[in-house]
Amino acid sequence: MVEHFDLKIMTKNDYDVAYIGSKVKEIVDNSKISNGIVSVITAHTSTGILVTEPLECIVSDLEVLLRSIVDDDAEYSHAHFLSTYGRTSANATGHLRSILTGNNCLFPIRNGKMLLGAAQDILLMEFDGPQERRVFIEIIGE
Amino acid sequence: MIIDIHSHPGFIKEICQNPEREEFRREKFYLYKQTIWPAELVIEQLNAAKIDKAVLLAEDVSSRYGDTIVSNEEIKLLVDLYPDRFIGFASVDPNSKNAVQDLKRAFKDLGLSGVKFNPSNQGFYPNDSIMDPIYELCVKYNKPIIFHSGMTWIKNSHSKFSHPLVFEDVALKYPNLKICLAHFGWPWIMDTAMLLLKYENIYADTALLYFDSPKQFFDTTFNKQLGPYWIDRTLADKVLFGSNYPRIEYKRMVDAVDVLNLREENKTKVLSANAIKFLGW
Repeated sequence: MVEHFDLKIMTKNDYDVAYIGSKVKEIVDNSKISNGIVSVITAHTSTGILVTEPLECIVSDLEVLLRSIVDDDAEYSHAHFLSTYGRTSANATGHLRSILTGNNCLFPIRNGKMLLGAAQDILLMEFDGPQERRVFIEIIGE
Repeated sequence: MIIDIHSHPGFIKEICQNPEREEFRREKFYLYKQTIWPAELVIEQLNAAKIDKAVLLAEDVSSRYGDTIVSNEEIKLLVDLYPDRFIGFASVDPNSKNAVQDLKRAFKDLGLSGVKFNPSNQGFYPNDSIMDPIYELCVKYNKPIIFHSGMTWIKNSHSKFSHPLVFEDVALKYPNLKICLAHFGWPWIMDTAMLLLKYENIYADTALLYFDSPKQFFDTTFNKQLGPYWIDRTLADKVLFGSNYPRIEYKRMVDAVDVLNLREENKTKVLSANAIKFLGW
């Protein structure tokens, strides 16, 4: 059995973090599936899905790390007019940070409960905002 | 304060209720994959860029294509939603016999703050005599005009109608008419610089991005192709910040202003004070 849900999140800045673990947990709590897996998948190519401890210091260190690996003002081939869009693509940093952070995570469901560890939260990472973002929640099990 | 003088609202959800009209806009405005965003998100994007107010531009191409890309009424609707954040500019089709009447209504009844023309997409020369009653009305109501100038991305539209030099006749004939040459007239930026230098009533905006990232393109255009201190030393009262959103994000264009060699007081002029003067506030 599979259940499908969508989360819509409006991010607030060009680089932003939305904590969505409690929303996913609520969806699982209301699901008919008691045992299985929940997957959390972003629909975009300039966002990421991460699991970590939601401490300000860790999230801040992560931002420093991502900005050091993917420099805001480096030379990117992606910075050019895209005739198929009719606009300029200046969001190479968003795509590259998205590639580094990945687009999904998985959690087990046992006896109707999502096994999100005490220190864990799920983070939707925004790298090209503000935008209205969609996250797919797919619950697979019985 | 930051004022964006050049923003296109055609893909804001509140005026995108009709799928056929949305498709018409994509084709005629040459913005094929733009996501439809609610006005609330556009406000978030302005906030992220620290832009206080944005001019929303209508575009009337009725005589060429049978419809407006964005109508004056749609602009009015958006301004009414966020009157502290949006400034509405009308558009009328100079080739329509109702142009003057439509513009009078946009100023008097809809309360719009100025008018935008796109000579390339609308198919007229700015110094054509059909424009005289329109210019006279703008002078009478003290409303500024933003002209698309320079290259146009729009298919089947000639850039020659928007060459900066074709605006010289207008500036000469109507010295009390405030004119902004959008996109700095790119690629004819030297011609635009000449007009800014010579004519008190001509302004230009920074809504130009044709190659590279915003910062790189501003550096090439304003620091290398033009003299790196021309704006700061001589043209600081004539350049208005414009983004050309949503062809590029607001924040990236605001950040690009940092690469210009502007003293703080001149940065303030470019980001807001010149717009306030241009709008007649």
